[in-house]
Amino acid sequence: MNRVCLFLLALLVSTQALAQRVTLTVAAYPAVDDIVKSALAEWKKNHPNVDVKVIGREYADHHTAMTTALATSSGLPDVMAIEYGYLGRFALGGGLQDLDRAPYLAGQSAAKLTPFALAQGRSGGAGLSAMPTDIGPGAMFYRQDLMSKAQVTEAELTGSWDSFIGSGQKLKKSTGALLVAHARDIKDIVIRSGIPAGQGIYFDDQGKSVIDSAERFRKGFELARRVRAEGLDAKVNAWSNEWGESLKRGQVGVQMMGAWLGGHLQNWLAPNTSGLWRSAALPERVNTSWGGTFYAIPNKAQHKELAWDLIRHLTLNRKQQEQAFEKFNAFPALLEAQNGAFFDQPVAFLGGQKARISWRQSAVQISPTRVFKNDALAEEIVNAELDLVLTKGKSVDQALKDAHKAVQRRASRS
Amino acid sequence: MSTTMKDNAATLGPAGWFFLLLGALVMLGPFYLMFVFATHARTEIISMPPPLWFGEEFLANLRILMDKIPFWLNLGWSLYVGLLSTALTLLFCSMAGCAFALYEFRFKKTLFTLVMGTMLVPSFLGMIPSFLIMDALGWIDQPRALYLPGAAPAMGIFMMRQYIESAIPKELIEAARMDNCSELRIYTSVVAPLLGPAFGTLGLIAFIGSWNNFIGPLVVMRTVEMYTFPLALRSVQSPVDTQWGALMAGSAIAVIPLLILFVFSSKRLIEGLTAGAVRG
Amino acid sequence: MKPWVGQALAPYVLISPFMVLFLVFGLFPIGFSFFLMFHMWDPVQGLGTMKFVGLDNLLFALEEPLVWTSLGNTLWLALAAGLPQHLVAIPLAFLINERLGRWRNAAMGAYFLPYITSTVAIAMMFSSMLSTDYGIINAALDGLARWPLLQGLLPSEHIDWMGSPETIKPVIAFVVFWRYLGFNVILYVAAMQSIPRELYEAARMDGARHWQQFFFITLPQLKPMMFFGVTLTVIGGLQLFEEPFILTGGKGGAEYAAMTTAMYMYRTAFEFNDFGLASAISWLLFVVIMVLTLATNWLFKSKQG
Repeated sequence: MNRVCLFLLALLVSTQALAQRVTLTVAAYPAVDDIVKSALAEWKKNHPNVDVKVIGREYADHHTAMTTALATSSGLPDVMAIEYGYLGRFALGGGLQDLDRAPYLAGQSAAKLTPFALAQGRSGGAGLSAMPTDIGPGAMFYRQDLMSKAQVTEAELTGSWDSFIGSGQKLKKSTGALLVAHARDIKDIVIRSGIPAGQGIYFDDQGKSVIDSAERFRKGFELARRVRAEGLDAKVNAWSNEWGESLKRGQVGVQMMGAWLGGHLQNWLAPNTSGLWRSAALPERVNTSWGGTFYAIPNKAQHKELAWDLIRHLTLNRKQQEQAFEKFNAFPALLEAQNGAFFDQPVAFLGGQKARISWRQSAVQISPTRVFKNDALAEEIVNAELDLVLTKGKSVDQALKDAHKAVQRRASRS
Repeated sequence: MSTTMKDNAATLGPAGWFFLLLGALVMLGPFYLMFVFATHARTEIISMPPPLWFGEEFLANLRILMDKIPFWLNLGWSLYVGLLSTALTLLFCSMAGCAFALYEFRFKKTLFTLVMGTMLVPSFLGMIPSFLIMDALGWIDQPRALYLPGAAPAMGIFMMRQYIESAIPKELIEAARMDNCSELRIYTSVVAPLLGPAFGTLGLIAFIGSWNNFIGPLVVMRTVEMYTFPLALRSVQSPVDTQWGALMAGSAIAVIPLLILFVFSSKRLIEGLTAGAVRG
Repeated sequence: MKPWVGQALAPYVLISPFMVLFLVFGLFPIGFSFFLMFHMWDPVQGLGTMKFVGLDNLLFALEEPLVWTSLGNTLWLALAAGLPQHLVAIPLAFLINERLGRWRNAAMGAYFLPYITSTVAIAMMFSSMLSTDYGIINAALDGLARWPLLQGLLPSEHIDWMGSPETIKPVIAFVVFWRYLGFNVILYVAAMQSIPRELYEAARMDGARHWQQFFFITLPQLKPMMFFGVTLTVIGGLQLFEEPFILTGGKGGAEYAAMTTAMYMYRTAFEFNDFGLASAISWLLFVVIMVLTLATNWLFKSKQG
């Protein structure tokens, strides 16, 4: 009798265990997939019966696969990593869970997250479509050694765009180094500054293009044109071989990008220049961000609650956010994590500067912009027109008019 | 009196050799660079001028690669899918090519236009409907979703038709028919054995096509363990953080089976046919 | 004894694998894409959100200047890359086949390597070699420019190969040519293998020289394979996507000089999420390809005596 009971008990326990074995699917791209994998050891301590499958795909491939999955409502993961550039489209599509609602109630943790990042997650107009996990507060990385040789102070670099360009002229004269990698970089920053609340970069709250009316476009185009005309840019595109080389050789004095660039410079882009760079704010106190990663739960996901649990661990767990920054350069969206000891440390690569503190300060000042479905298209068209201004001498007015017309034409289709 | 091929062998003048070598160098250059890059660390690759001679980081790159993807598994899947895809392609295309080349039948023209038509439709719009079909069939994450749909490519049928038309004389077929050979026997015993060079060529092309295909696996494969190699390699590419050395190492390795296949099939190709068997 | 598959039935049996595969995997995607052309669809919103718009997509595509630019680019690239492919491949195949003896395999191997190199590696190699200030090509041009005779011909500044609209097209045409030359060489060598040797021997006995043998025996016998190869090049050239895509980082180059129709279609679908318009563009391209393929067909068939 005892043996039978024991046997039945064992059977019961084992079937229970088997019945509870669940597989959670996470779809991501590098390096988010690595970040998720590194979090699993900790998370699984509380969920021993859950297997987590991380599907890693190349950045564009991942978003294409997610587009396909959303289109067919099949093959969707439980947790979907989305990069900021694609967030607008996916959120507006209506296929993602609203994390403000029950059972997620993300709003309860709203105060813990960097304000603009949370707002970006809400910018699809369908509640909170995705939780922010990392952000890219903008910073100006500049070569301190070259600047001091040219007798350019940091104040001159960051004071105004005019003084920024003036510094460029001084830099070129004394060291031969160029100011920026590409004139377009300046335009990119300027058009992201001074955006009225409720509007997007290219569209107003009615969805109409503001390219020919918003002053920031004219200013951005003018500044870029000036920089090119005075021969202050290296005409290299970011992430190309030449770009890497120009950073290594000190042929470019300034690189404005997300704060995460510091880690890349140190690890592989230009390790030989350690100690020569400093980080500063963007000119005219512009606060903008580069990229950013979010986690979403598709409507058709199978294990929504487990998915939410994992997302909470990835985004609200301080140790996890800190670890992601230290190991993978992912600047935490969690405010708590930005206060860690790690942030107060001097950064050797930047000559001992306590840069992370200034990045943190910049991050909380970034204001959110609304995303629109046609943002990618508008960016493309504007860049094409800028190209014509820079290389073929097209007039800024005409370029803005043409860009506006083309964008309006496409935007009015939807 | 017979003349042999040796007569022509060494009669390539110096000018001929020069251009041939120059051509080979141009073809070889980028390929060589890929192998060189596979042996260097990331920083060395993203610099100018790039390294031109082999470095010492190959094993380190391999380790990085193996960390990120189930390397051997992916390679294995690529091989498996490639071989099956090639075998089926050779079979189905030669059958269909035979039909178009040797027979007259109703709808022949329409059907051939249909075959040609399928070549004209670009593939990525078909991604979503293909996915729907695979899902409906339950073939997601299964290799058969990779080797079956494309097993009778129009290009292969077209090639076989052209080859059979030009290389297989009608007299042979007539002779076999008069010997009371069944039509299918004609295919297996008369036509197929003479298709050596065509099999070699199409086999090579089919295998390479299958090997390098990543759109199919991207849509259909859900687990990294089921990825084919090109897809697995791509998955280590990041917008800002690609491990270039590891990627080049992987690309270099991906090419080796293709090289081996090429050596193997070019023998078939060259020593294929002596057309003398046809006459008399 | 009557065979169970007679002469009448045989062709249908032989074609059946193709027909089955086509009906299951070929027809639906084609039909879907045709259907999609008349609808407005943002894929991210799911299958149910297609909106019927009739001919709107087609009309929009026809009026969109970028569609015409891309068609022009595509035709230019197809021609510039395709023509040399065959003009060079045929004599090369002849040389390799007839004159190289035991070096034949090695030569074919060398020409075949570009075809099997991964596109990621190709993108890397070429952007490295063509770099404006650090690339090997410009360095070589620098060296050449020091020779007095050439100084006048070569530009004084480094050429921005990848960045200026005038040069990006020839660069891509060259990469495509580089990639597919070996493919065509293999095709032609295979075809030349099947030319009966007696024809050559007879010609030789009649005193024909090598180049005469080439023109009067080899070329005519190559017609079927030429038709095949050229058709493939026409179709492949007009659908050109991969090489321009990877060499311009997916953007189409300065002033869209390298944007092919296939690339524009891909971007419309997956970056601008407008599947209806993408379908319309693809069917427009289909019409162009069909017309040119028929023209190729006519060209080759009318030459057959």
